[in-house]
Amino acid sequence: MTTAGIPTARTGGRPSAVTARDLARATATRRRSANRVKLWAGSVCTALVVLPILLAQLLPLPDANDQELGARRLPPLTEGHLFGTDQLGRDLLSRVLHGGQVSLTVGVLAVVVSGLIGIAAGAAAGYFGGWMDAVVSRVLEAQLALPLLMMLLLVVALFGSSVTVITAVIAVAQWPEVARLTRSLVLVEREKPYVAAARVLGLRGLTILARHVVPNVVRPVSLVVLLLLAQAVLLESALSYLGAGPERPFATWGRIISDGQDYLTTSWWLITLPGLVIALLVVGVNLLGDALRDGGGRTSRTKAAKADGGTA
Amino acid sequence: MTSDAALDPYTPGISRRGLLRWGALGGGSLALGGPLAACAGPTGLPGPGTLTLGLTRSLVSLDNKLNQFDAAVTVQRAVRQALTTLGPGLKPRLVLADRFEMTEPTAWTVRLRKGVRYADGSPVTVEDVDTALRMYGKVNGSFLLGLFPELPEVEKTADARTFRLRTERPVPILDRLMANIHITPADANKPEELQSGLGSGPYRVARANSGAGEYTLARNPRYWGPKPPLETVRVRYVPEESSRVVALRSGELDVVDTLSPDAAEQLTGLPGVSLERGDGVRVCQLFYNFRKPKNHPLSDPRVRQALAYAIDGEALLRDVLADSASPLRGVVPTNLDGAVETGSFTHDPARARALLRRHGADNLRLTFMWESGEFAGDASVMEAVADMLGDVGVRVTLKQFQPGGDILKWRQGRGGDWDVIGNGFPSPTGLALTCLQGMYAGTAEKERTREAFMGYVFPKIADGIEEASVEVDDAERQRKLAAVQKAIWDTWPALWGFVPKTLLARRGRVRDVGLLPTNSYDLTAVHLEG
Repeated sequence: MTTAGIPTARTGGRPSAVTARDLARATATRRRSANRVKLWAGSVCTALVVLPILLAQLLPLPDANDQELGARRLPPLTEGHLFGTDQLGRDLLSRVLHGGQVSLTVGVLAVVVSGLIGIAAGAAAGYFGGWMDAVVSRVLEAQLALPLLMMLLLVVALFGSSVTVITAVIAVAQWPEVARLTRSLVLVEREKPYVAAARVLGLRGLTILARHVVPNVVRPVSLVVLLLLAQAVLLESALSYLGAGPERPFATWGRIISDGQDYLTTSWWLITLPGLVIALLVVGVNLLGDALRDGGGRTSRTKAAKADGGTA
Repeated sequence: MTSDAALDPYTPGISRRGLLRWGALGGGSLALGGPLAACAGPTGLPGPGTLTLGLTRSLVSLDNKLNQFDAAVTVQRAVRQALTTLGPGLKPRLVLADRFEMTEPTAWTVRLRKGVRYADGSPVTVEDVDTALRMYGKVNGSFLLGLFPELPEVEKTADARTFRLRTERPVPILDRLMANIHITPADANKPEELQSGLGSGPYRVARANSGAGEYTLARNPRYWGPKPPLETVRVRYVPEESSRVVALRSGELDVVDTLSPDAAEQLTGLPGVSLERGDGVRVCQLFYNFRKPKNHPLSDPRVRQALAYAIDGEALLRDVLADSASPLRGVVPTNLDGAVETGSFTHDPARARALLRRHGADNLRLTFMWESGEFAGDASVMEAVADMLGDVGVRVTLKQFQPGGDILKWRQGRGGDWDVIGNGFPSPTGLALTCLQGMYAGTAEKERTREAFMGYVFPKIADGIEEASVEVDDAERQRKLAAVQKAIWDTWPALWGFVPKTLLARRGRVRDVGLLPTNSYDLTAVHLEG
């Protein structure tokens, strides 16, 4: 028998019909490249917004609340105002950056708190099952069934609109997504041999959960928490836009847009520029989260494959 | 004979799946095409005989007992009428009455117009007037009640249409005051806000959604007067000014009122849109809380005066309000009948700082509150004022209430502590006296039920207003009013104040909107072209 007609060594004697071109066109390769692009684009977009916000106090900008009534609604790039001025002559860039500090603080604190609550509740529900699973699952289902924004507005109306209340409200609003993911991951983990081994060694349930199971699920969960950051920032902006944000004169993104919409046809920058900043941050964080999630999966698989190869 | 291509199963052709796919696509296009095309085009355009009004505040009901704001009055009076109304020049005109005259110092003789009836055909009776007065009298915290020195009682006479309005002391402006008492059938009247819309006006309520503040008024076929020119009037609540501006530009709304100067700037010069401006009679003030403890700095009029020096009123009027308001030079708008100039607000921050230090009120911390939409540009004014006070060392916390919130409770001192309120006070009679009566005639008795305006209780001033209100001689009344206004000014009741001009925008097809200084107009006079 011959193997004529089957190309065996088209590319430098490689014993495969798969060419370098095929490899470059492969779905896995394209996904990897797209992931790299997403990672870079996400990082750049996020950095473009987050870095100036973090450095707002150090930048040579006027105070966010300094008014100059004679210089109202100056267009961008006028008299040293990069983003122009608002309806009270305040520097818009400074207000956007200081507003970003409020929005990001609320967002970061909210996702940290919601992440902690979600991981604790989800892990307990997934590992212990039984009544605890039933309670956690029913509570999170009930909360997911409620209209989110309306619930937030109700709580803010009842308890006032301070930064603390808004942070707590968004944190409580977001824990179900983290809890649901954690629960499903823990359900898979608890059936694995290392958990059985730990049990055989006499470790208590809570110890196994805290020391062995949670560290194995915390990475994918933390990526979801990162994605929730964009949602938290949007929620804070939505609350401020609807008048339920921190009291004036605090600049918040939602309020800057809400105030600016009255001047939509005469001063476009009052609403467009803050809107672009919000969009840039949300897109950036989402791209970054996506890239880390996909990249994380690939890395784990590669590590697993290497480990399998090593033992074979 | 067949060709090779026809026999080749791999030759592209119309497969059954392809046919089904294209069929589904065509069906879907036909089904969704219409609605999508409708979405792409303009929607909600009013018909040729329909006038659509866009209100800034929600019209919770068509009853004016508690729901009192300028544009609401326009709509409410189209459905329910009073014995009199205020026409051009703010002069009283007869509506349901054809006679309304002072026949004794404490009695006015009134005769109902012959043939006046409600939309259901039942006649307007003296009993209805009597019940309406009693019902208005039972409303707690009523703005209207504060305008009356005392509510008159109805005395029937032998004639079924004639009656007397009797008061204990003379009320020489009763004809103007009664323009605010809307008449409803006696058996349907209640002290609460009436949700039904039965009245004797030129329009009846065809559809109402009070929660959303939306009403459709249709021409009343049984109207006792001349047939109104409009077939239908639609009332919509559009709180966002930008949405109202866009809706007016697109033709979705015909008339929008109480515009901010910035919105007016956007609409100026647009084809098909006209602006109407005029002097207003509503006074907007940053009014102090007079319920503070005696040892509080704000209880000292010298501190109140010192704070007023920190406010640059000229800059606020010129830059923030874009010349859409006039400076307040008295305690009520000076274009009101009987109002006098008592002084003006001066900007002198150095003096403010020095006086505050001298009176031990430096490092003050104040809380300002207001309701969104209380006056055009409210948030900008409050933020600018807070900044100006910051320059003299006073730290201000701003508390903004959304419409429908519980600011009424706070105003009455039941919600929490505050120092200054951004407040607008209308003058529905065009008289300084009623404005003074509503704001400055607080007594200890009224304060017990928290009905004294922001806790303003100065017995001498209340007595002075009461004396003026019962004075039948015009010249003497004006003299007494002038004296009492000067006395009020010396108490420094407000940090700053202004008088907004009335500003309304309308589509070109809307004619004869006779905008009054009260920022309302008569809907029966409005015409539509085309």
